[in-house]
Amino acid sequence: MKPLLLIILLSSWNGVGGYRLYRVFKKKQVLFDDHFTLAACMAVTMLTSFLAGLYLILLFPDFYIIPLLSGLWIGWRFGAVLRSPALLSGLYNGAAGALTGTMLGAVLQNPALCRLPAEAAGMADLYSIPVAAACFYMCILASLRYSLRM
Amino acid sequence: MPALFYLLTIDVLFYIGAFVYAFNKKKLIGIQLGMNISQIMGGTAALLSGIVLISEFPFHFTVVTFISAVIGILAGTLFGLLFDYQTALTGVTNGFMMGLMSPMLGSIINTSSLVIWFVHVVFFSCLLFIMISIQRS
Repeated sequence: MKPLLLIILLSSWNGVGGYRLYRVFKKKQVLFDDHFTLAACMAVTMLTSFLAGLYLILLFPDFYIIPLLSGLWIGWRFGAVLRSPALLSGLYNGAAGALTGTMLGAVLQNPALCRLPAEAAGMADLYSIPVAAACFYMCILASLRYSLRM
Repeated sequence: MPALFYLLTIDVLFYIGAFVYAFNKKKLIGIQLGMNISQIMGGTAALLSGIVLISEFPFHFTVVTFISAVIGILAGTLFGLLFDYQTALTGVTNGFMMGLMSPMLGSIINTSSLVIWFVHVVFFSCLLFIMISIQRS
C-alpha cells in the first residue's frame, strides 16, 4: 500500500508542475523562434510522457494501452501549443517516452523480468528511481522557465 | 573481468578527444549540427556505460541506473554547453532517458559480449559521421 501513496504524491506534484509550464507556453506562444520550439518541445514532451507512462503503469497495472495513448496526447497538446515544426517531434517523442516509462514501470513491479533477485533488490531500493526522476523533472521544468527569461 | 574496464577507459579517451575536437571547431558548427552532436553524445555515453556496468555488476540495478543516468546527463551537458543553452537542455534530456533505459536492456539480453561490440561499432560510426559532418560544415 505504501508505494501506491508515494506514486500518487509524486504524480500530483509533477502534474501540477507540468500544467503550470503548459499555461506559461500558451500565454507566450507568439514570442518563440524555431530553434527554441524544437528544443523545448523535445525536452518537455519526452520527460512528461515518460513520467506519465511510469505513473500510469504503476497505478493501473492491467491496462497497457493507457500510457501509450496518454503519451501521444501529451505530445499532441505541447506540439499544438508550440506550432508547426514541433508537432511532429512532439508526437514522436511522446510515443517513445511513454514506451520507455511503461518498460521501467513493468520492471519495477516485477523485478524478475530483468533477472533481478527479488530479495536483493528491495522495494525501497527500486522505488528510489521514480523519486529521483521526479526531482530531475522539476529541475528541468525550472530550467525551461529560466530559458524563457533569457 | 578487467577487459571491460580497459574498454571503458578507451571510450573515455575517445570522448575526451571528441570534446577537444569539437571545442576547437566550435565556431564552424551551426545550431542544427550542434543539437545532433549533443543528443548523440549524451545518448551513446549513457548507453555504453549502462550496458557495460550492468554486465559487470548484475546485482546492483539501482546504483548502476543512477550512475549511467548521471554519466548521460554530464556528457549531454558538456557537449551542449559548447553551443547553446537550449541545446544543452535537449542533450540532458536525451542522456537521462537513455541512462534509465540502458541497464534494463543490458540485464535482459543473453549474449552480452555481442551486444557490447555492436554498441561500440555504433558509437565509433557515430564519431566518424560527426567528424565528417564537422569537416564539411
